[in-house]
Amino acid sequence: MNMKKLSIALLLISVMYPAVAQNILIKNGTVLTVTKGVLVNTDVLVKDGKISQLGKNITAPTGYRILDASGKFVMPGIIDAHSHEGIDAINEWSTPVTAEVFVGDALNPFQISLYRALAGGVTTIHTMHGSANAIGGQCETIKLRYGVKDPKELIMNGAPRTIKFALGENPTRVHGGGNAIVPRTRMGVEFVMRESFSKAKEYSAAWDTYTKNKTQKGFRGTPPEYNYRLETLAEVLKGNILIHCHSYRADEIYMMLNVCKDFGIKKIVFQHVNEGFKVAPELAAFGAMASVFSDWWAYKFEVYYSTAYNAAILTRNGVTTSINSDDPELMRHLYHEASKTQKYGGLKDEEALALITINPAKQLGIEDRVGSIEVGKEADISIFSAHPLSIYAVPLITIVDGVVRFDREKDPDDMRIYVDPRAEIDMADFTEGHDHDRCMQGAEDMFDTLFRTN
Amino acid sequence: METFYHKITVVFLVLIAFVPAWGQEERELGSVSRTYAITNVTIIQSPGRQVDGGTLVIKDGLIKSVGKNIAVPPEAIIIKGDSLFVYAGFIDGLSRVGVVKPREEIREKIKDPGNPPPDRAGISPYVDVRNFLNTADKNIEELRAIGFTTAHVVPYGGMLPGQSAIISLAGKSADDMVLVPVSSLYSELTPNERVYPVTVIGVMAKWRELYRQAVQAKSYEAVYASNRSGLEPPATNRILVSFNPVIDKRIPVLFKAEKFLDIQRVLALQSDLGFSLLAGDIKEGWDATTKLKASGTKVFLSLDLPEDKKKDDKKSEEKKDTITVEKDQLEKRKDEFMAKHVGQAFAYQQAGISFGFATLSVKTRDIQPNLRRMIKAGLTEDQALAALTINSAQLLGLSDRLGSLDPGKIANVIISERPYFHEKSKVKYVFVEGVPYKLDSKDSKKEESKIQLEGDWSLTATTPQGKSESTLNITKTEGKYKGKLSGNQLTETAEVNEIKLEGRKLNFSCLINVQGQQMKITIDATVEGDFFKGTVQVEGADSFPVEGKKVPKLNR
Repeated sequence: MNMKKLSIALLLISVMYPAVAQNILIKNGTVLTVTKGVLVNTDVLVKDGKISQLGKNITAPTGYRILDASGKFVMPGIIDAHSHEGIDAINEWSTPVTAEVFVGDALNPFQISLYRALAGGVTTIHTMHGSANAIGGQCETIKLRYGVKDPKELIMNGAPRTIKFALGENPTRVHGGGNAIVPRTRMGVEFVMRESFSKAKEYSAAWDTYTKNKTQKGFRGTPPEYNYRLETLAEVLKGNILIHCHSYRADEIYMMLNVCKDFGIKKIVFQHVNEGFKVAPELAAFGAMASVFSDWWAYKFEVYYSTAYNAAILTRNGVTTSINSDDPELMRHLYHEASKTQKYGGLKDEEALALITINPAKQLGIEDRVGSIEVGKEADISIFSAHPLSIYAVPLITIVDGVVRFDREKDPDDMRIYVDPRAEIDMADFTEGHDHDRCMQGAEDMFDTLFRTN
Repeated sequence: METFYHKITVVFLVLIAFVPAWGQEERELGSVSRTYAITNVTIIQSPGRQVDGGTLVIKDGLIKSVGKNIAVPPEAIIIKGDSLFVYAGFIDGLSRVGVVKPREEIREKIKDPGNPPPDRAGISPYVDVRNFLNTADKNIEELRAIGFTTAHVVPYGGMLPGQSAIISLAGKSADDMVLVPVSSLYSELTPNERVYPVTVIGVMAKWRELYRQAVQAKSYEAVYASNRSGLEPPATNRILVSFNPVIDKRIPVLFKAEKFLDIQRVLALQSDLGFSLLAGDIKEGWDATTKLKASGTKVFLSLDLPEDKKKDDKKSEEKKDTITVEKDQLEKRKDEFMAKHVGQAFAYQQAGISFGFATLSVKTRDIQPNLRRMIKAGLTEDQALAALTINSAQLLGLSDRLGSLDPGKIANVIISERPYFHEKSKVKYVFVEGVPYKLDSKDSKKEESKIQLEGDWSLTATTPQGKSESTLNITKTEGKYKGKLSGNQLTETAEVNEIKLEGRKLNFSCLINVQGQQMKITIDATVEGDFFKGTVQVEGADSFPVEGKKVPKLNR
């Protein structure tokens, strides 16, 4: 009993202070590389947080931790391109354009949902601003290094900047419906986008002129006033910030493609995209990508015309497609979500797995670093008891940057990092986090104004 | 008619007879001389510098001399300090003591929540806390009674409530209290309810924008000042201008940062923008020491601690089923974090960070017990004293004036029975800028027995609408006081079910009916013989000063 307690204590300590990347040899597993086929009875050597070697019968150098993966499946860490976990603020809903806000300012490494996601094989998430505004805030790509305390240590350094845009009912409800402010309609949303981009263009131009003139001798002039919002939008126009656009209906998706064309924006990822199957060729032609649910719809009017074949249709049309969670519970079994595309659409194993690995990596601009098991890539690896697309699969070990962050065999009951000594003990609540639209967190109030429920 | 006439006469008589007496009850001692000598006393000049059986002379608001064999000036009022202990007055690094909360006005609904007027968005950095100082705030007296003589006070508000000031906890007027005006720009990460910014991410974005705009405006102002011809005049903007002393590093930004993540966010702003930072009311900062130290942030730790609930240890023979085991483990984790809270000050000491304390969110009566808890958790008494005195003085740039008992410094002095951190220690006198305040250390039970509550009291509440008179009839049954409150403005007599008297502190509440409207009032007052003086708090509304006078029994 005492020994057990001691080992629990030791374990807690080791979980709380993991820090350094280990060198690991994963022995003899079935390696699902996603990009380079399936390698049976193969070893994966992890050195300094990177995948350093793939092959058979690799001998572990001294000091390497050996994980026996015989009979098990080794896959790249799962990537969720749409989440709202790990942040304390989601929706700056107060105005239709809030490009200047950044969820990375409110990272919270203590959220237990991050650990639960690790337990579902997830290693990287795109934690996003909500969809209450036509142009929302900037998002952050984080790695699930659960156990770190400094929020900066969650950030996937070097990942491209991204920003949330939103079409349809959410932004029109909050602003037009709730406050009688443009946008009240889908046309209004388009207007807000175009107006904002135009202002940003003018703003950049004014600064360019000022900076150019300033170098001239004897220059006298007033600089344009610094505007953080337009400054950010100007970066979007320059392609330095990638748009992730919340959308459902085909017509508005097509509209948004036209807005992008008109303003020279080359890259856009559509989120949800429930009617993406209707405009799949158009999306493919533009090079736009799509991040969808496997089979989640009908939670508001604009989300009725949907199909579980969406991901498969998009994929077959050549659209880089991912399956996301937008939810802390769904996030824990994205491998199930991906496997649904085999029932609805008959995607091959590799295609289905790509939906939760290399494809979301491409959508976040991090495909050179993660999303597949290849030498030189970051050692984000999940080990499953069975093929991850099997309903019997159980995630056993999740490794992030060479650090084992989840191990089913060493999974203490209480994984909280910070504890409130005053709080009553948290009761498990199965309804928590199941609100259908976490995208709208913080902005729900505005519905009352609209529907006069009060 | 006769009764009415009678009453008037009585009130008149009462006024004549007792008002001067009330004056004598003021506890500020007489000002025959401004020189004081505390003799044969244990003097703790600063942590670790102690003089036994020494003398401290205060003259004209300053410390004149301190040590052994000090000549006592002939004009000095002598306080015999045998068995007493003298300390420098304490400095509160962040609080709202003496600061009036502006009244909530009923304000127009904002049509566009994305573009609120700045003051509605919590952005009022031009507000000066001096405009909200109230010398009569009873918190001043309470905080002073446990040894605080100086406080760094901030205005109420949202993300940028305004400018702080360092004040003495005594004074005849707001200006009289102020030691250092505009000592910092105060800020919180507090978002607004329904207007931009409604989130912490909005607050941080707006903060960056304002700061960068201020830097830009300031530099354009300089360009314009050097040669105005041919340039558009700069816009005057009192919000942006308020940042100027911060940009010049003449004053720091004082940020409230209670939790670990608040500290991280404030440090993120600081590293982006480069201002000098004071972080105040830190409650969960034990993991942030390295980062705070590296950034050169000055810190004031909160004196608030989570309540230590004494658990009844029923460990004995109870069956350890799975639920109990699980509960025990969870309790253990709570204990672990309780220890971190209580041990925070010690952790900062260990990390080599000089810190002060903040009373912003602590109840005054918890301050001394909490200090003792921190000391029990590893902080030495000297370190605690340093945090309350020399360290705070140094962090606030007041070392030349405050923080220790040295000649030439401002005479902010505490005299206590027993060493200050002793459980039974009591502060007997506090000097603020050389003015003594005598504090009661008499046994409160004795006081209580002297007070005769039963009978009629005439109450006068001073409201903005004028004085409101009423009569309180107090009776005592089975050791409990009850009362009936009646008056012209009360539709019916109000029953007061329980009147509490602890020491000289009187407290009761009742439901009153004014013009058909029911409201709850609570009266807190201090009794002095046949008088009491205090406040009446109307639930959900304002509080007003109230005075009570015992009506002498009339022979009919």
